[in-house]
Amino acid sequence: MFDQIFGNYLVHAGRISKEQLTEVIEYEKTVRVKLGLIAVAEKLMTKAQSDEVNKLQAIMDKRFGDIAVEKGYLTEEQVSQLLKKQGNIYMVFVQTLIDKGFMTLEQVDEALNAYQEEQGFTHSDMDDLVSGDIERTVRLFLPANEELNDRLCGIAVRTLLRIIDSSAYVSKAYFVDELSADNFAMQALEGDHRIISGFAGSGDSLLSIAVPFAEEEFERVDLDALDAVGEFTNCINGLFATDLSSEGIDIDMVPPEFYENPVVLKGKQFCVFPITVGGSVVNFILSVDADISIN
Amino acid sequence: MANVLIVDDSRTSRKILRGILEESGHVVIDEAVNGQEGVQKFQSCKPDVVTMDITMPVLDGMEALKMIKALKPEAKVIMVTAAGQKNKMIDCIKLGADDFLTKPFDKAEIVAVVAKLAN
Repeated sequence: MFDQIFGNYLVHAGRISKEQLTEVIEYEKTVRVKLGLIAVAEKLMTKAQSDEVNKLQAIMDKRFGDIAVEKGYLTEEQVSQLLKKQGNIYMVFVQTLIDKGFMTLEQVDEALNAYQEEQGFTHSDMDDLVSGDIERTVRLFLPANEELNDRLCGIAVRTLLRIIDSSAYVSKAYFVDELSADNFAMQALEGDHRIISGFAGSGDSLLSIAVPFAEEEFERVDLDALDAVGEFTNCINGLFATDLSSEGIDIDMVPPEFYENPVVLKGKQFCVFPITVGGSVVNFILSVDADISIN
Repeated sequence: MANVLIVDDSRTSRKILRGILEESGHVVIDEAVNGQEGVQKFQSCKPDVVTMDITMPVLDGMEALKMIKALKPEAKVIMVTAAGQKNKMIDCIKLGADDFLTKPFDKAEIVAVVAKLAN
């Protein structure tokens, strides 16, 4: 994910062009091999086992390697070896920038330092970012000390990466009392906590979720497209409810709600988490134990 | 091959389910958008199998399951759940649910579960 975040920083800073970034990201896709494919090629797993783990990933908020170990298909040592073979995508990104002559290593280092300073990240934060570990990366973009908030935001991003767009990336989350949106799909969770979560879009940005989820070409963000976004939100919330139920916290989902026309969301310091999906920015909205009114 | 009634408030879920069922040779005899309509259509369509979403407006899937089983105890009803509805799944079993499907849908699972009940 940091390849996308840092790549877009480089574009905004005028260090590479948008076209050059697209070229690098496209090249990455050709060399980045999924862990399951490597495991099958190495004859550590059968194709059927790999397919089974991929399917389980849709209903479990866990990494491929973790599920494969739980199922007894791989050992932790084998997962570690496979991850090494898969390589670090950020390193591939930097190597590609250099190989294509878009930047020198010195220029990348200088830009990385400028990015760190601008974002206020520590050296340890930067280690997390370049590690390629999604959990370590996403954590840096979430508000601290908001446990339920951070957990649900984390699940939302990981589910997006698994089901919708493996190239999605995040910007820093923030809290507001009011937000305008062109359209909004949301779902309330009730029980031990009252939670509202959903996706707010500008223009047609929510199509970046609706189209791949429903596997249908919508012309605009109408109620049918919002229904697809609502169903995707339902999947995220289901994983969150599973996570909480293991701790004895009981919450349940109510039917999603959709707003096709521009709305103003008002609440008490609710979270807005911008995520770039399929090139469009969508805002994941989350309010824990406080209502949001929609006008 | 079975005649299936799909009960789900989500158009997206109905469309995905219909596509998979029809592709595997079943007939989607009708669709309903909430539990109340589902019970009505169960009586009028007489399906072999019902897929019933749990979370729906007007009348939820558990209430509709209860009503369908009261009308016809041998009715085959597959409950459709999101991950995280484990407690409700236990309640559904007590109410006579015949099987479960989890969202997001897995084609192989749908085909296997419906085929099992259709036989």
